[in-house]
Formats: sequence, structure tokens, C-alpha cells
Amino acid sequence: MTDRRRTNPPNGGTAPPIFLSSLSTADSLQSKRPSRTRRPDEIRKIFLKTGLNPSATGSAYLELPLPTPPPLPSSTFLPASSSLKLTCSIHGPHPLPRSQPYSPHLQLSTHIKFAPFASRVRRGYVRDAQERDLAAHLDTALRGVVIGERWPKSGVDVCVTVLEGEEDAWWGGSNVLQGDNSGVRGEGADGGGNWGAMTVLAGCVTVASAAMVDAGIDCVDLVSGGVAAVVEDSTAWNEGNGKGMVLDPSPPEHERVVAAAMVAYLQSRDEITELWVKGDAGIDIEDLINGAVHAASGSRTVLAEELREAGERKFGEVAKSGSEKVLGTRPGVSNDVDMTG
Amino acid sequence: MANSTSTSILSFPPQTFAALSPSAFLHAHLNPTSSQSSSTRPNRRSPTEFRVPNINTSSLSHANGSAVVRLGNTAVVCGVRGEILKAEDIPKTYNDLAKSPDETDEEKELNYTTIQELGLLVPNIELSTGCAPQHIPGNAPSAATQSLTHRLRSLLYTSRLIQSSDLRIWSRPANSDIDPGREEEEDEGQDRAPRIKAYWTLYIDVLFIALDGGAFEAAWGATIAALRDTKLPGAWWDADREMVLCSDQLEESKQLSIRGLPVSATLGIFVAEKGRSAKAAPNKRLMRGLGDSGATHHKQEHGAEAWLLADMDAFEEELCQEQITVVLDYSTGKTKILKIEKNGGTFVNIEEMRHMLRLAEGRWIEWKNHLEASKR
Repeated sequence: MTDRRRTNPPNGGTAPPIFLSSLSTADSLQSKRPSRTRRPDEIRKIFLKTGLNPSATGSAYLELPLPTPPPLPSSTFLPASSSLKLTCSIHGPHPLPRSQPYSPHLQLSTHIKFAPFASRVRRGYVRDAQERDLAAHLDTALRGVVIGERWPKSGVDVCVTVLEGEEDAWWGGSNVLQGDNSGVRGEGADGGGNWGAMTVLAGCVTVASAAMVDAGIDCVDLVSGGVAAVVEDSTAWNEGNGKGMVLDPSPPEHERVVAAAMVAYLQSRDEITELWVKGDAGIDIEDLINGAVHAASGSRTVLAEELREAGERKFGEVAKSGSEKVLGTRPGVSNDVDMTG
Repeated sequence: MANSTSTSILSFPPQTFAALSPSAFLHAHLNPTSSQSSSTRPNRRSPTEFRVPNINTSSLSHANGSAVVRLGNTAVVCGVRGEILKAEDIPKTYNDLAKSPDETDEEKELNYTTIQELGLLVPNIELSTGCAPQHIPGNAPSAATQSLTHRLRSLLYTSRLIQSSDLRIWSRPANSDIDPGREEEEDEGQDRAPRIKAYWTLYIDVLFIALDGGAFEAAWGATIAALRDTKLPGAWWDADREMVLCSDQLEESKQLSIRGLPVSATLGIFVAEKGRSAKAAPNKRLMRGLGDSGATHHKQEHGAEAWLLADMDAFEEELCQEQITVVLDYSTGKTKILKIEKNGGTFVNIEEMRHMLRLAEGRWIEWKNHLEASKR
């Protein structure tokens, strides 16, 4: 299979390197396994910055640093876990092309693409089904916050690039390194695993929300993403019991993920625009969703803080001289009231 | 219309002026009316001032080498990843001339072509990441992307940056004192001469996060920085398992040896529109931005004014009819030109070309300092 528009690999085809240590049994690797060091209800630190791409209307960058920082300098080629890195650019609103039918609302089109080096196994250039699925999820999450009626006949492109994704499971417990994603040892009923996608999506929601504000597209509230999971561990934080709920899970840190929920949450309106639950949570499902909402509220704090700082950077002195007063006298705000009233 | 009553009051904010009449806007900046102010571009750089590169390396956990390069508002991420091509998988029998893992420098030079014949470098540039409004994701690579990728690949091969000897994996550990135990495991019956069992293939992926001109220079800079950061794990042929195995220990890894340090510099020629240049003083120097060395200029037949602009941003790239890309290597103390690409226009003569090369040499020093600082 050749792609005439890109540089192709050599004809024989290549395979990712196989490390000697990954061939040994999982038991002997247990010492290298990352374990959760933060409390079950503690989320990872979030680094968020807006306005990275001046040629876009709005843009943002989000990073979740490594959950357990490796000892420096690292001595191995196999990173224990990865740290999520996302960039988002928003282009538009721009007029829809003539070929498109009339639309009374803003037409959102969301794109999510993983970089080839985003995961342990190299990814392709063409968008695959998972990326399209995530983009559809992101679309529903954003659709609920954008005030689309203000831009009839217009479209906006939300482009998220995943520079580094979240892993679905610990590499030592599976054949991930040999390019086989099919079975993770002790996998839940849904087979695929794919737990990392939820963290990626939650990050996508938060970063897109920040970029949306940077682009100046009217939204009813800030939307933020959060994940919670029911995990099973034999030796970890809750000894004896083994099963419990954690916020913002990093799948490599747990032996088994039983169920996970991801929400896109509007805190000040107490609304959920997107809910995605996987696995069998049983009767704990309400707790699980509440946990995800709690995680989303945590990331919203970072989101709001960064946007406030970005606002100060953008509008400089005006914002410093007393933000409440300025907000009240901003002409845009009073216009809004007239229009809706 | 507003201008029917009073033309003197009509004034635009700079952005509007730039959007309405970009060429005149740039010309007004380069040719200020007051004589004491020097010509400054709309991005506040002087005509021959390059943007300072900002380089970060080793930030991606799943790449063997990576770099983030920022050039003003252009931001590029490059990740290099090694995968293994087994010698037996190569469709046509390929006769590698290399005889042993310990080649002399001359032999390395002779056997260089392997890398190109097998296509062991796989560079790809991705522009459709939403880096600019014209590059929206979901489309096949545009003509611009394909041409950039092609230029990157051909330069990687012609500059002979990476040596084939670094990419060969032999049937015996190249350096037997790495792990003597491993060698004993090998079959005694087999002939002891080392054989090439596999090759490393380097996937070089360049992603544009933000694009504001200087695409090739940024992509090339990121590629160089990432390759200089690349470490390939120690690999050997395991006869029992009949596969290539790698060690995950960093101390057994091998830093990719990069030959020389080619650096790309892009310059543009901006020619003022005829209507405006007629108003300009006719006896002024035609080619601006060349400093005093370019004082002797013959008159262009059109009589138009031209400026030399270094490292254009997206706005200037639109307006420059003529673009020159120079790739040179100064690391041996002598200027080695790897590539000059000049397209369009008749405004550059030999004398000016020399001046541009001098500017590119200055640019080389700037890149080198930043590349070395990023490595530590």
C-alpha cells in the first residue's frame, strides 16, 4: 500500500523495535510498573496556555505532566507512562461555501488527529476510526456550549492535534510493544480497553474550550472535561479492598480498569453536554459520573485561571483597573441583554 | 462614502491598511517618509534581521529524538522514531557492500549509498494540523506539503547527514564488550563473519503547530535538532529467537552521528509596485537592505525599487515575487553550499547573491549557537 502524496517506508515494511525486557514475563517487570502516588480524589496538574498560534482565531495548548516523574536522568528507552500533550487551533467563524445549504446556526467541524509519534506504537497519517469517533464526541461536547444562532451561514473549524496521547494500559502487561493492541491481560468485558482515549477526550474538551474563548466565540459557559474510573489493584493505595474509584486515572498505573466515565461539564449551569461511560460499573454508576463531574470541576479551575490571566494579557490595563466595573460597562454585554430581552 | 467630504480625515488602523493594500503597506514601512527613521518591516524587524530560533529537545516520550522549534510565530514539532527493516524482508536481494561493522571512514564514504537505495529515511511534513487557515485537517496533503516533504527528503540524502553505518544491525554485536554473555549464545556452527541482519529505518515526522512563514527553514531546523537528539537503542540479532532484539538501557544506546551542520536560510525580494516606485526618489539605491557593500547597483530596466527581506513571515511571503533558499554548512570553517534555490524575478545579480550568502553565513552561526545551547 503506497501513498503517493507522502514519503513511504521501505518496501519490505518495518517493525517497531522489540526490547529484550519486554519479552520477559510481566511478573519480573512489576518493579518497573508505575503506581499512583496521588490521592484517589486528586487530579493531575494541568498546564494550559492560550494564544499559541496567532494565525488562528483562537488556540490553546494543554499538557498533563508525567503522573510519576521518572528519576533523572532516565536510564531506559521505555518510558513508564506518557504525558498528555494537546494543541488546539480554531479557525473561523468564516462564511460557509456557496455549495453548502443554508444553516441558521454556526456549523462546527471538529478534527482530532494523533501525531505519528503520539503513542508507543507508531500511528498512521490518515485519520482512523478512533480519531473520527473522538472528534464526534468532542463535537457533541462543544455543540452544547456554543451560542450558534449568533453566526448563521457560518462555519468554524476546531482542530486538535494530539502530540502525545494517554496509554490504554501498562506496556509490561500486554503485547503493546509488538504492535498487538488486542488483548490487555485481565481486560474488562468490552475487550478493546482503550481507556486512554477518555483522558485524551477530556483534555480535548478542556483545550478546545480554552481555544474557543481565545477565539472570542460566544459560549454559555466554560466547558471542561473530567474522567473517573473504577479500578482494581491488588497492592496499591487501598489495600485489602482492591476495588475503588479514582479521579483522573492514568491507566498504566492500575492493574485493571473496570469502568470509566468521561463528562463534559458546565459548572456554573450544572449541565453535562457529553457523557461517555465504558465498562461495567454496576450500581456504582452514579458515583462514577459524580466523580467525573468532580474531576471536570477541578480542571475548570485551571481553565478559568488561565483564561483570566490571558484576558489580563490581552486587555492589559483595562482588566487590572477592576474587572467587575469593566465587565458591567462593556458595550458588548449590554447589547447581549438587548438582543435576548 | 466618507472620503467624498474630507479625504484628510480618512485614516485606517494598520491592520485594515495591511489587508486593503498589503504591498503599499509594506512599502510604506520599508520606505519611511521621515529621513531619520530607518526602514523597519511591519513585524518590527529590520530588512535583513532573521527571527531568533527557539529550540527545545527531548520533550516527547515516545520518540527516539524530538525537537520543538519556534521561529517567531512559526512553531514546529519534529519526532524521529526508529523502526527495524529486516534484511530478509527486502523484496529484491540487496547487495550491501559493507563487509564488517567496524568500517574505516573511507569505507563508510564508499558504502554511503545504502541509506538512499533502501530509503531508510522516511521524512513527512504535516501541514494540515490547522496551523494556518488555508491548511484545515481532513484533506490529503496539499501540493505545498508534498513539495516541502520532497525538498526535505532530497536535502537529507544529498547532505549525507546520516551515515549508513549507523543504521546497519549486524548478526553479532558490533561491540562485543557490551555484553560478552550474549555472544556466547550464538551458534558455533555458523560462520563467524558478521552479516547484516537488519537496518534501522528512521521515521522523521514534522508537524506544524503554527505557521507564519519560513516553513522550510523551520522544518529543516527542527529535523536537524531532532536528529542530533536521536539515540538508537543497542540492537543485536538473536539467533535463537531469530529476531532483532533491542536493549532498553540508555547506556547501550548509540547517539546518531550527524555529519556537519547544514542550515537553511530564506530570503525574499520585495519589489514595490510600479505606481508607487515612480513617486519614490529616482536616484535612491535600488536594492535596499544590502548595507553599504551593495552600493554599486546597476539600474533595473523597470526602474522599480527592490528590498531584500530576510526570513519573511506569512504576510511578506505573499508579497515577495522572488525567494531564495540557501542551505550551507560552515562547520569546517569553509562555506560549503549544499543548495541554492532561487525562483522568479530578475532582480538579483551575482554581487547581490554573494551578499545573500554572507547573510546566510551569519544565519548559520545563529542556528549553530542555538542548536548547541539546546543540547547541553
